[in-house]
Amino acid sequence: MHATDAIDLNAFVTTPENVRFEYRIAGPFRRLPALILDFAVRGILFWILLILMALLGFVVQFSGGIAIMLFLISWFALDWFYGLLFETLWNGQTPGKWLTKVRVISVDGRPINSYQATIRNFLRLADFAPMVSLELFSPDAPPMYVIPTFLVSLLCMTITKRFQRLGDLAAGTMVVVTQRSWVPPHIKFDDPRVESLSGHIPANFRMTTTLAKAIALFVERRARIPNVRRQELAAYIAAPLLQQFNFRDDTSPDLLLCALYYREFIAKDAFLDSHSFSSPPPSSPENRTPENRTQATDSKALSAVTSAPLAAPPLAAAPPVLEPTPRSSSENAPPWKVSP
Amino acid sequence: MKISVLLEQRRLGWNELDKMCSSLEGIRFPFQRNGSLVARFSSLYRAACTDLSMAEQYQLPPATVEYLHRLVGRAHGLLYRSSRSTVERWVYYCMVITPQSIFRDICVKVAFIVFFGLFTLSALLAWSEGTFPGYAERILGSDQIEQMENSFNRPLAGNFDQYVAMSGFYIQHNTSIGLQCFALGPLILPSLCALGYNGVVLGASFGYMTRSDVEQGDVFFQFVTAHGVFELTAIALSAAAGLRLGLGIFSTSGLLRMESFRLNAERALPIVLASIAMFFMAAFTEGFISPSPLPYFAKASVAIFSSGLLMYYFVVLGYPTPPIQLALMHNGDNPWREIGGVHATR
Repeated sequence: MHATDAIDLNAFVTTPENVRFEYRIAGPFRRLPALILDFAVRGILFWILLILMALLGFVVQFSGGIAIMLFLISWFALDWFYGLLFETLWNGQTPGKWLTKVRVISVDGRPINSYQATIRNFLRLADFAPMVSLELFSPDAPPMYVIPTFLVSLLCMTITKRFQRLGDLAAGTMVVVTQRSWVPPHIKFDDPRVESLSGHIPANFRMTTTLAKAIALFVERRARIPNVRRQELAAYIAAPLLQQFNFRDDTSPDLLLCALYYREFIAKDAFLDSHSFSSPPPSSPENRTPENRTQATDSKALSAVTSAPLAAPPLAAAPPVLEPTPRSSSENAPPWKVSP
Repeated sequence: MKISVLLEQRRLGWNELDKMCSSLEGIRFPFQRNGSLVARFSSLYRAACTDLSMAEQYQLPPATVEYLHRLVGRAHGLLYRSSRSTVERWVYYCMVITPQSIFRDICVKVAFIVFFGLFTLSALLAWSEGTFPGYAERILGSDQIEQMENSFNRPLAGNFDQYVAMSGFYIQHNTSIGLQCFALGPLILPSLCALGYNGVVLGASFGYMTRSDVEQGDVFFQFVTAHGVFELTAIALSAAAGLRLGLGIFSTSGLLRMESFRLNAERALPIVLASIAMFFMAAFTEGFISPSPLPYFAKASVAIFSSGLLMYYFVVLGYPTPPIQLALMHNGDNPWREIGGVHATR
């Protein structure tokens, strides 16, 4: 059921609540802008420090020696402790990472701790290797090997599963995309034909999970697709279904998919006994004592993972998740599947 | 119940959790001020977890499942954070675990032998001009030698401003080199080369200055005596930490290669932290004591004192413990590796 072996950008994390959820891993092209931004931020911070120190020098009249020392130490600190401090304090993000919406987390899904931040930032230099000398650009330049080529980190990211660079491997971390949580698209159909057409779909028709997924992906995006293209895309799935349902050939494929979506995701029963859903979650934590809290949690909708299958007969009767066929509680017609 | 109605109901809880995540995300210890928040938060989180795990059965639309993945991920990141460790554990880590693991570490021994071996060899070669003519000149270059002689022409003297500025410089410059040695460790060769290079060059300078016909020798030793102990040890230690990292890739002792690399990084960190601390102490000694016109015996006693300190830390505190106890310390009492927990219960 889970796409564990699929070659994609997802990393799965299993929580103590026994839930598997996925993170999207950030690849090199997402991380390079973060690196460049961080470099810029470091430069800006450095200048701000410099100006502050100059201003302070006018006010306090401290000696030039202390100014130079502060300058050098802040240079050193920005060089080596910038990422470390930000990642520790900002829960795995630096300003550059924050701007590019990525975050460092442990491979087990937990936020990183100061140890991991230290290791992965100290090892940055090895990831930048091999360094190229300034002489590459002008023969007069001093032979300073300061231009990173990132070859080591690129190689390392290519051969590891989670796009980890050397520092990530040593610290056991990975960089994931922190999607701003967008509101899931709430599909409503203004067209009354959708509802009426869904009524004409044979009652014993059942979708496979993949078909349902494909239709959902289409319907959620159709608002952004021009009409002609919509019909063309929908026709791939709709054409065999039209035949199967004995609908007229000139039925709009787009409309049919909307009707199927309506039937599958809006109108259908969620096959659980409804009383477990009837109470919305409590709005305030009025019960502070542990006993009360457990009770409240148990009676609350959906909250007890472990107890739900035992308590609710329809759930207990449900076959293991391996079987992808959805079922609706209202009908008992023999299930037959349609492959798209 | 219709799915759309179900979604409407669940959405309330999700939205609340979402809002809580947004408001708590920037805070380092989100539940420290408000203990009751954590109960509410975790119950909402558990509800979202359940929804996610049941999403397949409910036949939720894929976009909603995707949304739930993100939501649970965010909330998980807020709920399970590494918690602070106590001062006592840090003291234990610094005073017991660190010296003992450094004392036992084979990489530290190798790095010390390489560094001080090359240092001594190079010093001998540079010193015995008769037997190896031109060695020091070839290693250091005549320009460098001339520059070195010029800087030690006058007796040592300075003012407070110079002392402060120079110690800043030594902190920035030397510690950076040490950290580079460590960071290049996974590639092994650069780290070893840096170590060898420093050993040879420093040895050659020392050897050259010991020659009886070099007049600046006295001033040179006045300068280097005080901070030499800390600085040379720190260089060797930082390279040892680098070696430990690199060794982890090749000598896995039965672990998966990546796991071994990770474990060795954990072992290397106390070594490099010790070396950073030593670079800092060396920088202040080198900034304030070394260039000052203090009499030689004062500087020599600083050197003796710092050697004693190092001896105490690495040998007395680091005296070998039975491996079983060390393994226990490594596994159980490392404050870096706090088991994640909820902060309010700290």
